[in-house]
Amino acid sequence: MKIDSKLIFAILLTSVSIYLVFVLNPEGPQRILFNLLTFAGIYGLSAIGLNIHFGWTGLLNFGHASFMGIGAYVTILLIPHAAGREGEVTSTGLPFILALIIGIIAAALFGLLLGLPAIRLRGDYLAIVTIAAAEIFRLLARDFESITGGVYGIISFSDALQKYRLSFIDNALENFDFSPAQAWVGLLSWVFIILTLLLLKRLNSSPWGRALRAVREDEDAVRALGKNAVWLKLQSFMLGAGIAGLAGVLLAFNYGSLETNLFIPLLTFYIWAIMILGGVGSLTGPIFGSIIFWAIISETDRVAALIFENANGQQLAGVRFVLVGILIMILMIFRPSGLLGKKEELLLDVK
Amino acid sequence: MLDQLGNGLLLGIIIAMASVALSLLYGVTRIVNFAHGEIIALGAICTLFFSNSPDSRYLYLDRFSPLGISFPASIALSLIACGLFGAFLELFLFKPLRKKEVGNIAVLVVTIGLSIFVRYAYLLFASEKVRSFPLDLERRQTYLFFDMTPRNFNVLIAGIVVMILVGLFLTYTKIGKAMRAVRDSGDLSSVSGINSDVIILVTWISSSMLAGLAGIFQGIINDVRWNMGFIILLLIFAGTVLGGIGTSFGAMVGGFIIGILVQVSVGLSFMEGHYEAKNAVALAIMIVILLFRPQGIFGTKERIS
Repeated sequence: MKIDSKLIFAILLTSVSIYLVFVLNPEGPQRILFNLLTFAGIYGLSAIGLNIHFGWTGLLNFGHASFMGIGAYVTILLIPHAAGREGEVTSTGLPFILALIIGIIAAALFGLLLGLPAIRLRGDYLAIVTIAAAEIFRLLARDFESITGGVYGIISFSDALQKYRLSFIDNALENFDFSPAQAWVGLLSWVFIILTLLLLKRLNSSPWGRALRAVREDEDAVRALGKNAVWLKLQSFMLGAGIAGLAGVLLAFNYGSLETNLFIPLLTFYIWAIMILGGVGSLTGPIFGSIIFWAIISETDRVAALIFENANGQQLAGVRFVLVGILIMILMIFRPSGLLGKKEELLLDVK
Repeated sequence: MLDQLGNGLLLGIIIAMASVALSLLYGVTRIVNFAHGEIIALGAICTLFFSNSPDSRYLYLDRFSPLGISFPASIALSLIACGLFGAFLELFLFKPLRKKEVGNIAVLVVTIGLSIFVRYAYLLFASEKVRSFPLDLERRQTYLFFDMTPRNFNVLIAGIVVMILVGLFLTYTKIGKAMRAVRDSGDLSSVSGINSDVIILVTWISSSMLAGLAGIFQGIINDVRWNMGFIILLLIFAGTVLGGIGTSFGAMVGGFIIGILVQVSVGLSFMEGHYEAKNAVALAIMIVILLFRPQGIFGTKERIS
């Protein structure tokens, strides 16, 4: 195997950012590291889904948060949960695994629905449509209080996943100040990443994967060769949305509560930043992008607290978003292919 | 339903002005500007900073006091600030990108990054508190068949006057004609001796000032908050798309329709108890328009798929 300098650089940068977590947090770095890896796993999984849309097929999807939201809501509404301020625990009695699968399928179907505009619309218009559709989903979800609990959200659903928790997690975390429940979610997210990557690795080199990338390069050529470009785009939308739905379920379990506020457009922009940082179109890129991204994010608050003495919590959180904004701009201007992407494989201009 | 019409007209004029600004910029530069909302907020936040009483210290983590300038002068200064910001963006960000021939999808993503960056910089400097301009409270009065305060009525009239002036500017002045020429065909206008760099700079400045004025109006009618631009950004997109992307008159009409629809939909019976979903109505209209009549109401047919 040829030694890939980009990959080595990505691994180095990831190691450095993890190392920095240890240097900057002399007390209890493990807790911060576990937290970072959990979020990195969930967001990384979602970014892998987005990469199928944008990286493989060249579809400008800015409604990614809604796929995560659909997956999370459908799954959690099917398992024992309590909605609203004084909601009682209700359940459909479906086994968890089945609920999860239905959630993923629902996200994929919503992907199909959002993919329909992609047949007719050029890239930048598709971006507006997808972000608007995601906002419609969020506004409606917030509005139907009887089902989603409105602004109070849904709670008391964690047990459905936690009862499968493997006992070695509790043993391993005995000496650390970290919740075993969150560690279980984090571990699952990385297991799912590995499974997804194995699946995508096969798909990527299959005729189907090559046809998908051909859609990105030249849609007319794909049509001329007798492939159904429209159906390929829709399949890409469904596959990516399904992966995002799975990430959304994990995100909900990580927080232990499900609110519509989780799925604001900023979530989509986070995933975009991770995808661009890791490398558009690259299979493993989002993993490295996600870890580095969350290492930056989790250290920002500390640095910001040093710079701004009397800032409140929300303003401190503002510093990290300022950084996210700058990161997106700088990457897109100077290195749109990110750490592992190939510039020649990047769609930067509408066809 | 009619009691919401006054509010609808007010929201309509704000969205119409912002949509015209967005549409002008898109027409000339082909940039889908997600940072448009932040220019709107800049107008309001600057006015807040210029006009409020210097007794309080609440800007940049309570370190700076507002300047306490008279309100009309504050508006004028804020518009200049918005124009300068637009010029700054063009000269130091978008012109270099254009010269580098960065693709328009990359530029779109850059405007998203810019939007997040600027918006949260506002959060840092202006804090998350909702504030208002130093204006007296007024009683609502009835004009024709809708209620609003005299000040809001003046805002509505001023907005309509501004829209007419923008229309006259685009139709009759030399520079307005040049802007439309660049919009219709960049190459042909260059051949006719129009310096497109200058025209694009003028477009950025005028678009930013118009957007800033919309933000100031929004601040007068409602309040000033750090994310006020992003909240209505999608409505502005909806207005622009509904009227026809790239047409100024269409953007104005589309913006008005969206504003009125959003407010009036609150009064519809099936919307009862679903107040939050009012913006969803406008967004759904936009999606339907994009799918079935992508050129909008007034747009001309061009290849968009």
